[in-house]
Parts: sequence; structure tokens; C-alpha cells
Amino acid sequence: MNNQSRRDFLLKAGIGLGGVALSGFLPNGGLFSAASAADLVDPLAPKSPHFPAKVKTVIWLHMDGAPSTLDLYDYKPELIKLAGQPIPESFLKGIKTSTQGGITKLFVSDKRSWKQYGESGAYFSDLLPNLSQHADKIAFIKSSVTVGATHDISILKLNTGDVNPGRPSLGAWVSYALGSANRDLPSYVVLYNNNQEPRAGSVNWSSGFLPAVYQGVAFRPGDSPIFNLARPGSIAKVEQRNSLDLLKRLNEKRAGYYPEDTELQARIRSYELADRMQTSAPEAVDLSKESEATKEAYGLNDEATKSYGQVLLRARRLTERGVRFIQVVSGPAVGVDAALGWDAHNKLEDNHSKNARMVDKPIAALLADLKERGLLDTTLVVWASEFGRTPWGESGDGRDHNPWGYTQWMVGGGVKSGTTFGATDEIGLQSIGKTVDTYDLHATVLQLLGLNHLKTTFLHDGRSERPTVVFGEVIKDLLA
Amino acid sequence: MKKKVIYLAVLLSLATSAGAAEDKHSDAPAKASRAAAKLWSWQPVQAPATPQVKQNKWVRTPIDAFVLARLESKGVKPSQDADRAAFIRRATLDVWGIIPSPEDVKAFVVDRSPDAYEKLVDRLLSSQHYGERQARRWLDLARYADSTGFQNDNTRPNMWRYRDYVIGAFNQDKPYDQFVKEQLAGDEIAPNDQNALIATGFLIGYPDNYNSRDLVQRQYQIETDMTDTVGLALLGQTVGCARCHNHKTDKVTQKDYFSLQAFFANTSVDEKIAPKEKGEQEKKYEEAQAKYQAATKDIVAQQKAILDIYREAGLKYHKERYLTDSREAIFKPEAQWTPLDRWVNHRLANVTTDQDIASFIKVVAEDKKHPQYTQEIALKWAEYEKLTTQLKTFDNLKPASGSKWISAVTELGHPDSPPTHIRFTGVHERPLDEVQPAFPAALTDEKPNIVPSATSSGRRTALANWIASPKNPLTSRVFVNRVWAQYFGTGIVKTISDFGKAGDKPVNPELLDYLANNFVNEGWSVKKLHRQILLSSVYRQSSAHRADVYKADPDNLLLAVFPRKRLEAEEIRDSLLVASGQLVDKIGGPSVFPPLPSNATIGVDFNDNPSWVVSKDVNDHNRRSLYVFTRRSLPYSMLEVFDPANPQLVHSKRDVTTTPLQALTLFNSEIVFGWSQALAGRVINEAGNNEMAQVDRLYQILFARNADKSEKAALHDFLGKQEKIIQGKTADGKFVLSVPTGLKSAQVQNPIRLAAFVDLVHTVANSNEFAYRF
Repeated sequence: MNNQSRRDFLLKAGIGLGGVALSGFLPNGGLFSAASAADLVDPLAPKSPHFPAKVKTVIWLHMDGAPSTLDLYDYKPELIKLAGQPIPESFLKGIKTSTQGGITKLFVSDKRSWKQYGESGAYFSDLLPNLSQHADKIAFIKSSVTVGATHDISILKLNTGDVNPGRPSLGAWVSYALGSANRDLPSYVVLYNNNQEPRAGSVNWSSGFLPAVYQGVAFRPGDSPIFNLARPGSIAKVEQRNSLDLLKRLNEKRAGYYPEDTELQARIRSYELADRMQTSAPEAVDLSKESEATKEAYGLNDEATKSYGQVLLRARRLTERGVRFIQVVSGPAVGVDAALGWDAHNKLEDNHSKNARMVDKPIAALLADLKERGLLDTTLVVWASEFGRTPWGESGDGRDHNPWGYTQWMVGGGVKSGTTFGATDEIGLQSIGKTVDTYDLHATVLQLLGLNHLKTTFLHDGRSERPTVVFGEVIKDLLA
Repeated sequence: MKKKVIYLAVLLSLATSAGAAEDKHSDAPAKASRAAAKLWSWQPVQAPATPQVKQNKWVRTPIDAFVLARLESKGVKPSQDADRAAFIRRATLDVWGIIPSPEDVKAFVVDRSPDAYEKLVDRLLSSQHYGERQARRWLDLARYADSTGFQNDNTRPNMWRYRDYVIGAFNQDKPYDQFVKEQLAGDEIAPNDQNALIATGFLIGYPDNYNSRDLVQRQYQIETDMTDTVGLALLGQTVGCARCHNHKTDKVTQKDYFSLQAFFANTSVDEKIAPKEKGEQEKKYEEAQAKYQAATKDIVAQQKAILDIYREAGLKYHKERYLTDSREAIFKPEAQWTPLDRWVNHRLANVTTDQDIASFIKVVAEDKKHPQYTQEIALKWAEYEKLTTQLKTFDNLKPASGSKWISAVTELGHPDSPPTHIRFTGVHERPLDEVQPAFPAALTDEKPNIVPSATSSGRRTALANWIASPKNPLTSRVFVNRVWAQYFGTGIVKTISDFGKAGDKPVNPELLDYLANNFVNEGWSVKKLHRQILLSSVYRQSSAHRADVYKADPDNLLLAVFPRKRLEAEEIRDSLLVASGQLVDKIGGPSVFPPLPSNATIGVDFNDNPSWVVSKDVNDHNRRSLYVFTRRSLPYSMLEVFDPANPQLVHSKRDVTTTPLQALTLFNSEIVFGWSQALAGRVINEAGNNEMAQVDRLYQILFARNADKSEKAALHDFLGKQEKIIQGKTADGKFVLSVPTGLKSAQVQNPIRLAAFVDLVHTVANSNEFAYRF
């Protein structure tokens, strides 16, 4: 068998083979015995990484709408000095802009104040009083760059690596390469604190050209997070169990005619897994057993923080239960137009104070909670956004999109805590020196999961595809 | 000199790949390609002689001889025929995408006439369901969707017309060459034929973001999508690989790639073409729209008055928000437009709406510091918003779906095209040399014969003529291989959209060429191709397990056993609808919105339009899945879990993954459970009150067979136990019973036993035997 037919064979048997080490799922030295083939027929069977992983779970905090990191992390005394003046021409070299009526004057909110925190002395603005207490855990990436002038294409790129829909999201690649660590839950979960799905929806957690089994499962708000998780209203638990027993009996009888058919056997097992998921998924999102102190810490007692706090508390519970990739899309803050999120083209102060309030306390609580439970060493928390915002004002008191230089950060196992990588120019417009594109961020996340992004591959339409398309470099300076 | 070096390199790489493939392919084609420099798939289709075989009696069609020759050379015997009931279930699912009725099964099983199979196959192929099923496969390749995708995911209200065109084309057995030509260049070759215009929906199904600020980039990305789609779907070539660099394995250079893209350089889209004749759909739509317009006339007029005040300023604001190179085109006087400027401005006009003016007013009015802010605009905006709220109350009068226009490709009435450049690493901002439309140089010496008309460049016609030519070595091979894969799970060339060097070689090259050659000789008749496969002995084989075959050919490449297959997403849902008697069997029309699970959270677009409004007409809930609205950002949940086509890209092959989410969908969905209740009712109506007769009827409907003794015993046990369990549930007096629905007989029966029977039906419908075709 050459590689191509081996891959096809494994895929048919339900196992995707990427650049994943063969030993990971051929425990008996690469030979398929009937028994092991049956064991392996599930496409989400756990697979070994390329090298020892630092983390088991990624919590990917997507700040939807793109916050101004110039108002959160990227302290620019020069910008403050130049505020109200036209932008010096020299800063604009090499960029195409689309701001209405050309570029207006540099803008700084008169409410903004900055302080240094922790031993690292990282700057935080007044908008993040809680998160700033964790300064020494964070590795900042202050030279983030991306492509795009509109949210949709840049959000796609942030999640899938391309500005056109169709590629697998990062979480799908992780699910494909590593399989599931807990068969009773999906291995890739999407959370959002909104009463409706994030715009553009599932393309941002799509499996793209990978088999659909690797796509993110959106957990809806409420007690029953997955579609069709609950039994039909009229059916009692024991009644369903009896039905499942009958199903098993009928299926096993027919399966006797096809003794080598692992796919049919997998389908029999999928009903047992589903039965367990009916219990395990609601339990995983049930916050009623959390202590009052925890609920308070995550901000569940305050309308401003409640919805995001609930989602992050769910994220922690899913982390404990071995979910591999948890993608959290931020929803609208109380008092902010639902369509906007962080997208403050005007009235930035009003928008950002509300959005920052929504996420600041819950994220701080998440980091503290993970640490306390000994999970932070094996978890990676990423603050990511589709782009940042411009140092010049828009509509007087807002900021426009900035794909040329913005801040993202990572916390967790294998991350060099209390550091800053990269920088923007003196007014926070363009990155200077070494930049970090979405591909580099993806490569680094995969590295921490024990995956070499160059070897995590899938053959699609004749091309050996990988998560980082044809780019990507692990940012070694961010690793401990 | 240079040529010689390239030739050598090709020989070397061919030698390597042939070596690697030796253990699984016959070495005959490898040797042949070693002699010629061209890749096997780029060489002309041959007319191979039908091979001599020993077991002559098994041969019903030439296909069988080609398959049997391979089997005999490996010393493996083909399997015996499947029993007739299994065969009709298999063939009906394959040709129609749904299970057969018990009556059809019985009629076929008892038909002793010598042409029983021919009659069955001809009946299947002459039904409109054939077109529905084949269309779904084609729409996978056309990355069909009813919306644009991206963040706002706008509805494309006219796309269903293209879907119906495809159904019709298969049902009329439109010759495949004509089918291809119409889809690529219908607007040029038959501008007065409305159907040919609609056919170009194949090209215009690309994902799009209407709020893109970079229109020059958009034009490039749309051309890219069209080129890559045509390359993969029609030619089985991964030409897209050569956009950023010369192809790594195939002899497709970046120049070749952009020369192909040049065929689409002047291609725009018109989404508002009036149909020649108003059909029932258009009349219904316009009627509904007229009602809505009458009811909202005053509100709309007041809103328009407000918009008109700021229209000029708003438009200016909107235009200024495009990127620099788009702005150049946008602010240029029309007299000076280049072909690219024309494209950009047409696009701008297509995506600009009153909503953009309203957005401008909002931005200014809500911001006292805005330089254009006045108290008046704030008041006007408040008034506008009030009117919007009022307007919303009439939303239920809006036509729920459908359209009064058709969409088609257009070249905007001009024969001159924008220049096409090679792009450094595929980046649109880095143009290199200009190229002219041409076919890949290593594939053919043929030069495109481009004849511009007064209104169009003629480029796509030239491309279509080359692709749909009997001489094109790829078109027929790629298509017959797709049809083969549809029946046998795997293609003769396994990588069905990659006939390049990185793809697989055909496991049976003579069979592939026989099919391709015969297909063209039979006038590109798709039905005849299907017919021959359906009537072959290969297709008629049993799928029963054979230890000898499993040992000799574990991947079943030689097809000594018929490969069983999990039903596709649409087949599962549609067959459940058929079984339960709920299917609303109507062909074509605007896409429909069946219900979603109760915990679905539906989003809205930037204009506050929800992405899914469940169809008011309940008949729409039970249409075939082909008609379910394809919203790119919201795949229909029941289908989504069963590996459907991903509408973002050309989708070549339906994967089969097995997951607990599928089990949850079929076992827990209230919708599916409702169908099981209806199926239970149907069974009782048709079989009477005898429980074992009911069980037989259920098995006939779902599996085309009767239940055997041990199954009946298991089911009988189950009913007893389940009845007791349900009885226990009723003890506290608070309970709901799910009984069969649609019962005709009014006689009183034990409702608890009936509820247990519903559970039985639901369970049997969940079994592997239903979800597979054997």
C-alpha cells in the first residue's frame, strides 16, 4: 500500500491519517488485527501528537468585532502626545486605507489611564482592572498582523487561515490530529454568550475539507446544549433504554452477516455513546453545583458580566472534562448594539468600557480558577481578535479597523509567562520588527499541543493541505 | 535545449511515480505513459477491445467483461446476483435517492418476464426522481447554495432556478457536452434561451461578501473561484494549485493557470433579469409582493423621503469607504472606464442599497461630535427608526421565498476584457506579465478559437467548446468516473477530482476508457451511461461478505463483492419521509425552510433579517432535502450531521463518518420521532391489527423484506416489556403518550400498547439496515 491508499483505507475505516505518528493509532506495531481495527474505527479515537504536548486543551477567546488594543494593552505615550494632530505621513508608509474621507486626526480618549502591573511591569489600561492582576501569567504578542478590511474575511482568516470560506478551522485540525480525550463529549466545542448564533456562523468552526466529524459542535445556551440531546418529550428514560437495547439486538444480529465490517460496528457503538452524551453534556454545562464563591468570581451575580461569565465557567468545566478545543465567541455586552460587539467606529469609550467590563472579570476568574485547580499548566488560553483598531479617530470618537499592528496574548502551559513579544510603532499603527500573522499564531498553538504544523496534513483534491496553508512559523520566543 | 531538460525531468518523475504505484496498479498504463511524455489522463481516450473471459455467462454488458478479466487474472470469482428485493432497494436508492414502495418491490420480485430488470431500470430512469437525485450530485460539484456566505450571508433568491435547470437537464437527458457548454457560456451561445442563461448559475454560485471594501480583490477572487471550480469539477484537474506557484506535480505552470483564468476576466453577474414569461411562481411572488407593497406604501414613501434628503451625502460616504484602487474606479467618469472599472462599478451598483444610505444617517445622527451632525438629522433618524419598527410589523406579508427575476452571467455588453496578469505568489496586488486566454500548454497544442460578439468577449464559449469536445481527454473520463463512483462508492480513479499525477491511476484503465469512449459515442447520453451500469452483472452482485474476497482483495478494488454504502444525508431524511408517508412529492420551485430543533438560536443579518424563517406552508416541511434552503452559514441541522456537501467549495466525495451526533439526531429529534409516529399509523392502516403482520409490513417498507422468526420474537418481547414500562410511567397520572398518527380506523385500541408500538417502529427505523443500502 502506498501512502495514498493507506490514507484512504484508514479514512474508510474511520480514521483520518494526517501527519500523525503512525504509532499513535497502531498500537500493535502497525498491523491491523480484526480486534484493533474495530477499536480504531472511530475517527475520534485518541492519537499521539508528534512530540510531547505541553497542553491538553485550548480555550480560544475570540473578541468579536475587534477591540482597540491601543485602549487595553498597547500603551503609546507618543500617541497621547500627538492626540488631536494629523498623523505624520511617515507612519502611513506601505498601507492601503479605507477610512471615510481619508485619515482624520489621532485620537485618545480623555478617560484613558495606564499603569504597570506585576513583576513584568506590563501596561494595562483602566479598562482591565481584574485581568491586570494576572500580568505575570501573560505572554503578549504586540506585533499581530493580518489581512483584510472587513470583519468577515478577517474572522475567517483568524479561525481557518484563509479569507475565503472552505478551509478547516484550527479546532477542526486539532480534533482531526489528536482525536478525542473524552468520548462522552464532543472534542471541539463552540461557545457564545449571545441569544443568537454569531454572524457567518459555522464556517468559523467548520471542518472545511476534513470529514464533518471534526467540525466544532456549537453549545447553545440553556440546559440542553446540543441539538437533539434531550429525548423526545414523551419518552421516559427507561423506555428509551429498552428501545436502545432492542436496537442493539437487531443491529448485532444483522452485523453477523458482515463480520469484518467495522463501520457497522461503529454505528452500533455510536448509539451507546449518544446515550452517555445525553447525561454527560448537560452535566458538563450545569453550573448549579459550582460554589457561590466561584459564581461570584466569574461575575454571575452581575448583569454586566453574567452571560460571558457563564460561558467561561462552562469552558472551565469542559476543560476539566478533556475537551480539546473550546472556541469562545464574545457576544454583545449589556447596553451595546447586538450587531457591534467590539466594533467601535464611534463612541469607543462607551463601547469599550461596556465590552471590557463584560470580559475583564470573567477572564481573570478563569485564569485564577484554572491555576487553582492545577489546570493552567495543561491548558492554553488565547486572547484573539480578527484585527485591532487605528490610532486615528473615526467619526470623532471611534476607531477604524487596523490589520497592521495589534495585540493578542497567550497564557498557560509551555508559554513564557510575563513576557512581551514584538511591538508596534510609536503611535500603535503598524507592527515593527518581527510580526505575528494568524498562521504563526496557529503554528504556535499547534506546537504547544505537540503538533508540528508542517506535518499535520490532509490530502485534499491532490494537495497536501495543512492548517497554516503555505505559511506559519512557530514563535519560539513565546515558548517557555 | 530547454525542452530536452524538461522532457528528461518528466521521464524521471514518471518513473518514480510508476514505481511507487506498482503494488496496486497494473503496470500496463504506467508503461504506456512512460513511452509518451504525457500523463495518462492527458492522452487521448482509447477504444479498448472487450477482453476475453472464461466465465462468459456472467457477462451482461461490456463493463462486466472488463471487470471480470481482472478478477479472473487474480483467480477471484464474482459474487452471485443479489436477491431481487435487495436489488430494487439498492437501485431505487441509487437512482432516485429514496427507498422503493413495498408494492414496487413486490411487483419486481414476482415479475418473471425476461426483461424484468430492463423494465425496472427504465422505469427508474424515466421518473423525475432520477433528475432530482442526479441533480444533488451535480450541485455538490457546483458548490450550490441559496446564499452568498460570509458574514452577512445574503439570500440569493434566484439560485433555485439553476437547481431546477439541473434537475431538468438530467430528466431530459440533455447531452453532457451541451450541459457543460450551457453552464459555462449559456449567455454567449444562446442569449435568447432563458434556460441557457439560468444554466450559468454554475459559475455564479461562488461564495461572496457583498460588503467587501476591496472590489478589485473581489473580482480576482471571483475569477479564481470560477477557474478552480471548472478545473476540479469538469476537468478533474487541481489547477488551483498553480495559482501561487507552478504546479508541484502536474505540468501546469502559473502562466497556464492565469491563461485559464483569463477566460473569465470579463465575467459579471446580472441578478435582475426579467423572465420572458411569468409562470405560476412569478405570479404568486408578485401577488404577495404587491400585497406587502400596498400595506407598506405610506411607510416606505416616508422613509424614502428621508433617505432622499441624504441620498447624495450617503452615497458619497458609502463610496468613500472602498479601498484606494476600488475608489479610483468608482470616482472615475464613465466615459473613461476601463473594462475593470466597468466591472467594479457594476458590482458597486449591484451591492448598494438604501440600507447603505440609512447606515450613513445613523452614523451621523447618533454621534453629536460628528462633523455632519445637525439636530435635524438626529430628528430625521429618530423618525426613520420609528418607521422601521412600524415596517417590521408587516414582515409576515413579505413573500417568504421565491423571486421574480433570474440571475445569469453577463459581460455587460462589451467584448473587451480586463487584462489578466500572472500574480506573484497568487497575490492580487503583485501583477507580473500579462497573459492571454489559453489552454494548458503541456496538455494540448490546441489554441482557443475566440470569436467576440458585439456584446461579449466570446472567451467562455471558446473554453466551453474545448472542454465539451469529444477530443478532450479529461471531460468524458472525469464524468464517467464520477458516475461509477456514485454506484460503487469508489471511482475507477479513486481521487475523483484529481486526474493529475498526484492523484491515483485508474485501477482498471481499459474499463475507464471503454466507458468514456462509449459515453461520447452514445451522444454524451447520461441516461444510457447509468442504464448500462445498472444492468451490468457487476452492479447486480450480492454484497454478502465473502471471506475469500476479503482475504484476496481487502479493499474490494476488483469489485468481486458489491460494496454496501451508508445512505447519504438526503437519502436518510427523504427515505424517512417516504416511509412515513409524509413526503410532499413536488418537483422544483423556490427553496423551503423546514423546522429546526427547538433549541436552535437563529441569527439575523445586518438588516435584521433572520437567517431562517420556518416555512408557513407545512407542506414545505416535508419536501425532499434537495429543496431545503442551503444557507451557507447555517447548514440544515438534520442533514449537517450526515456528511453532506460543504457548499463553500467543489465537493467531490461524500465522506462517511459515524458519530454520536447522528444517533442523537435520528433517535431524539422530535421531527424524526413524529415521522415514526406517522409510520406506525401507516403500518397499522395497511396491515390491520395483527401485530406480526404489522411487523412484516414495517420491514417491507423499510428493508424490502419480511422480518424473520428471531426478529419477530425479539420484537414481540420488546412490545411486552415496553408496554409494562409505559404502564409504569402512567402510574402517577402525569404522562404523555406518543401514539401512532394518521390512524384511519376509529376502533378503540390499547393506547399503551400503541405507544409501545411507536417505540418499536422508531427503533427499527434507527437500525443499521435502514441507514445502509446493501
